[in-house]
Amino acid sequence: MEGEVKLETLTKSFGAVVAVDGIDLHMPPGEFFTMVGPSGCGKTTTLRMIAGFERPTSGQILLDGIDVAQTPPHRRNVNTVFQSYALFPHLNVADNVAFGLKYRKATKDERRSRVAEMLGLVQLTGFEKRMPSELSGGQQQRVALARALVLRPRVLLLDEPLGALDARLRKDLQVELKALQAEIGVTFVFVTHDQEEALTMSDRIAVMNGGHVEQAGPPQAVYEEPQTFFVADFLGVSNLIGAQARGKDGNGCRIQIGERSLMAQQGAIDAQGTVKAMIRPERVRVEPQNTPGDNRLPGMVEHAVFLGSFRELRVRLPGGDVVKAVFPNDGSPLTFDEGTPLTLHFPPEALRVLAPSTDGAAPDDVPEEESPNGH
Amino acid sequence: MESRWTWRTLAAPGVAWLTLFFLVAFYAVVCVAFGNTNTLNQPVPFWNPLDWNVGYVLQVLENIWNGEEYLTVFLRTFAFVLISIALCLLVGYPVAYYAARHTGKWRGLILLLLVLPFWINYLMRMLAWINLLSPDGWGTKVLHYTSIDQLFIHLGLLSTEGGWLEGQPMTVILALVYGYIPFLILPLYAALDRIDQRHIEAARDLGGSPFSAFRRVTLPLSMPGILAGVVLISLPMFGDYYTNDLVSASTSTSMTGNQIDLLTRQGAQKTEGAVLTLLLALVLLVFMLYYLRQTRRAGDSASRDE
Amino acid sequence: MSWLRNPWGQPRFLPLLTGAYILWSIIPVAIAVLFAFNDGRSRTTWQGFSMRWFTGDPTGSVAHNPEYTAALEHTLILALICVVITVPLGVALALGLQRWRGRGSGSVNTLMLLPLVTPELVMGVALLLLFLNIFNGWGIGTTAQAIGQVTFAISYVVVIVRGRLVSIGREYEEAAADLGAPLHGRLLRVVLPLLAPAILASAGIVFALSIDDFVVTQYLAGGSDTNTVSMLLYATARGAPTPALNALATITLVLTLVTLALAYLVYRKFAGAGGAAEAATLGEM
Repeated sequence: MEGEVKLETLTKSFGAVVAVDGIDLHMPPGEFFTMVGPSGCGKTTTLRMIAGFERPTSGQILLDGIDVAQTPPHRRNVNTVFQSYALFPHLNVADNVAFGLKYRKATKDERRSRVAEMLGLVQLTGFEKRMPSELSGGQQQRVALARALVLRPRVLLLDEPLGALDARLRKDLQVELKALQAEIGVTFVFVTHDQEEALTMSDRIAVMNGGHVEQAGPPQAVYEEPQTFFVADFLGVSNLIGAQARGKDGNGCRIQIGERSLMAQQGAIDAQGTVKAMIRPERVRVEPQNTPGDNRLPGMVEHAVFLGSFRELRVRLPGGDVVKAVFPNDGSPLTFDEGTPLTLHFPPEALRVLAPSTDGAAPDDVPEEESPNGH
Repeated sequence: MESRWTWRTLAAPGVAWLTLFFLVAFYAVVCVAFGNTNTLNQPVPFWNPLDWNVGYVLQVLENIWNGEEYLTVFLRTFAFVLISIALCLLVGYPVAYYAARHTGKWRGLILLLLVLPFWINYLMRMLAWINLLSPDGWGTKVLHYTSIDQLFIHLGLLSTEGGWLEGQPMTVILALVYGYIPFLILPLYAALDRIDQRHIEAARDLGGSPFSAFRRVTLPLSMPGILAGVVLISLPMFGDYYTNDLVSASTSTSMTGNQIDLLTRQGAQKTEGAVLTLLLALVLLVFMLYYLRQTRRAGDSASRDE
Repeated sequence: MSWLRNPWGQPRFLPLLTGAYILWSIIPVAIAVLFAFNDGRSRTTWQGFSMRWFTGDPTGSVAHNPEYTAALEHTLILALICVVITVPLGVALALGLQRWRGRGSGSVNTLMLLPLVTPELVMGVALLLLFLNIFNGWGIGTTAQAIGQVTFAISYVVVIVRGRLVSIGREYEEAAADLGAPLHGRLLRVVLPLLAPAILASAGIVFALSIDDFVVTQYLAGGSDTNTVSMLLYATARGAPTPALNALATITLVLTLVTLALAYLVYRKFAGAGGAAEAATLGEM
């Protein structure tokens, strides 16, 4: 199956501003690939370069092995779903969907049947004569999808297509889009700033920041094994605690948080010096005060939040760091008033060492030394 | 997406047209002004700047320097324009203010009625006054009945009873006001409309009377609009000749525009006419460029997404 | 006096003044139109209602006056020629200017705006000298009149169409390109249909501008066969004409107003933006 995209040292500058800085990305055919990152990270510019609306300053865009960087957009077998859908307001739904077919060799009957097929696929049969202004947001998005897919592109580009929809509709459409992609097998390249969306829908994600790719890979891998501060912070929530690393010890890294010594089995386990210890809030175990055992720290509850299906605790460590812990609401009798002392347990297999030189933007630290870049 | 030449090519015919029939036309004025006349009294333009003959230009400048007719008429024109604009502002500003700040259901209608004179032929509007102010016209009768004409004679603004259309500077000025005031009201309206109501409310809130809020907030904020509007109507007013021809038809009230018209279209001395036109254009150039700068600013902010 | 000063709102003299202004502005013209229907020969004494000056009177009416009908005809022909040339030129210039990439766009923009601020007398003289000395093949006459009118009308089209272009944005063109449309396809199937209301509205405005134009048209007139209604009004207003002159003026007035009303309706129907925005745009010019 076709639809493989490779970006090689792709760069785009607007005058002095470098929007995309020599990135390399590989999007395997038939996958749901997402580029995710904050505003201004370059994801939309990259998408527009793949579509052909921006010409790269340098680098290659290989579509099934052929460099299309200099090909105008109307001659690439790549189609786009725009953030605002861009349905032609003066044409009805059927004419919108059929728009691109005029440039393919298709008879009138063929066109009609393909349009009907597509509308069926997006569950909009019967809407042929409606005008875009008469459609809801979700319906418009589906017409935009149909319009792009009717041309049987190898790659479909989606530029934050769910951004304009309300939360519930978004969730529903996320599932639908994912199912659609699986069904038709076209490579989807999806752009969003919502990391949750990215994690939910994708086969593979690329986290971008400031024109670079911080990390790329399957969602679970990137989430559970972030390689930089930025990725750790951007995907989900994480606790980043200042620590001193003492080097490898057995199958983990011995680190010092405040007075206590802990073992971290993830990340740069042979790091030395100032590092950040990272642990996801859902992996932090909350235990009563003074519970004995390894990898435990004392703390005091600063704030407790009830979030419906789970609870979130903010616990202050002796050193001043605040750690977030979440756990399901199982009706436990434990009370967590402000000021309650307790113990936090960081299981070593969930504790990750992040060395400062592998960071995107370290919020507090200024790296003092070049630590070895390890994994 | 497209090459940079695509759009330039599209714009090319329009640019070519304007270059040819606007820029080159102006060059023709310059070349005639710095040219000569032949034995048939027709202008001989000198196309090469190196050949330019300053003779006629100097002649006109000398005329002005010595305070002869070109100067006197220009001063009269300047006075007419100044007084007319002052009157336009006096009436136009309050009207524009009312239209802009009024939020009632009549707003659309008011706006429509203010825009309407734009689209009525200027000459028809003057024709209307000729009918009204002719010796047996309704206007003359009303003015006589209310003794306003006696008042005007008393003030020296009218020389004979019923002689409104016979060489009266006052009539010319009032006709200019009538003719051009709509062109002032609309820009004023636009400027006043743009002022955020909240600024004024804040001024009132801080203890100002309605008048002081107006004086210290609305008036200064509308100043650019006032300037723009004033510039906008002074340009055509300086070149006006037909208003005088229609409501006065006397050389005692002629304006610079009449002189130019006489010299060029009526054929007397096209070279001299070209010189006078050039001089007028130079004087007005300052105003033109100022106004252009203002519109460019407004246009830039509107199209910033491009 | 206290009734005039309303402490809660605006002073009452404002609506009074505005009302008085509007009346002063419109009534004289209304009277002139009224006298077009006068039964007698006078333009100042009302003698009863009649259509004689339009069509009835066998010697005096507009319909029977060859000079008047010729002028009316010439006015309309000029207006049509003007629209046919100006609108395509203006639309192309608007598109090209709006999307112009690189240097030069500022100068072209200024060039485009210059005719709007140039006093018509200056333009008239310039064009007259142009046609007498350079294009004396054409000389003055209908061709010159048409060319002169087009030259100052282009700017109106550009401003109106550009305004609409800005509000449309680039997305539809990108979508069309994405779906396989080359440049001409994008322009014909997407951009022009979306611009249609602005194009039609500007056509109406150019038509009205042309009918009412005076200075440039007069300066470039050749013989009496190139007279327009405006020129006739200028030439005979002070004479002793009959109400037929009023009738002639009324005819063109009605034409202009109907054209503009249509242009406004077209724009409103397809664009929903409202003619008030157009009026404000023009006011800002």
